[in-house]
Amino acid sequence: MKSKIYKTTSKFALVLIPTLTLSLSAIAHDPSLHVKKAEKADCSKMDHSKMNMKDPVAMAMMKKCKKQAKKDHKAMDHSNMEHSKNEDNKKLKKDHQ
Amino acid sequence: MKTLKILLLSFALTLGAVAITVYSGFVNVAADEPHSDLVYLLLEEVRINSIAKAAKSIEVPDLTDPELLLTGGADYEYMCSSCHLKPGQHESDLSLGLYPQPPNLAISSQTDTANDTDNFEATARNNFWVIKHGIKASGMPAWGKTHDDQRIWAMVAFLNQLPSLTPMQYQVLTAID
Ligand code: HEC
Repeated sequence: MKSKIYKTTSKFALVLIPTLTLSLSAIAHDPSLHVKKAEKADCSKMDHSKMNMKDPVAMAMMKKCKKQAKKDHKAMDHSNMEHSKNEDNKKLKKDHQ
Repeated sequence: MKTLKILLLSFALTLGAVAITVYSGFVNVAADEPHSDLVYLLLEEVRINSIAKAAKSIEVPDLTDPELLLTGGADYEYMCSSCHLKPGQHESDLSLGLYPQPPNLAISSQTDTANDTDNFEATARNNFWVIKHGIKASGMPAWGKTHDDQRIWAMVAFLNQLPSLTPMQYQVLTAID
């Protein structure tokens, strides 16, 4: 009795496991197309000499890259840098005088 | 008396035809089965005329501010490009799978006579209306339920430039900052 159940189960398993494995790996197309990455603007390829500064597209691109450069700069945490610590200390000392 | 009979008969026949169409299940609603040419033509005419009429009195604001391209660009990339594609991309699951097919907005449509101011205004106001209200029984959603007019005009401004953009320009304009 026991061995019959065992046989049936293993038969199922023989079919099911390869089917599941194969179907999970079946890929219709490149899955990277499904992922929307928050990409930063790639400003490195801009050729300023070829840009007409009256063109709204060129103006918008410049604006975007400027904004991004500023933001990258801000992203640095200045508060943890040595020089700002020293400044804080100086200020504190001054306040206490 | 005779005319009345004929009228009643034709009414009954029409009703019968409608009932058969509705209840028989003969009409195929599959999105991978195109309409017949006649049905397609009729539906297209209905859509074109409906949009033109509804958009007729919309005032087109000044769309030259470069900032509009940045707002509109980021919105386009995240909300529209999956269906309407982008420079350098020719198909997507949605652009192939939907019926009616979403037009590729990254290439200029052949019907447009470019550089014609009237035409430019008409296209801008039609696009505004379509983005705001969507199109029934197609995949085109009504974005006006969740976006104010300002955001929608920015997308209209972006659509004006989209066909002329290179993939590199598109990337810079639409990236999140
Ligand atoms: C789920 C897919 C889908 C998404 C997302 C989508 N659209 Fe559409 N759009 C469509 C389809 C489908 C049509 C064509 C409808 C028809 O022909 O009846 C269409 C039509 C249009 C049209 C009319 C084009 C013409 O020339 O007639 C414009 C403009 C448009 N969409 C803009 C947008 C914008 C802007 C967005 C993003 C905010 C957007 N769409 C998002 C599917 C989509």
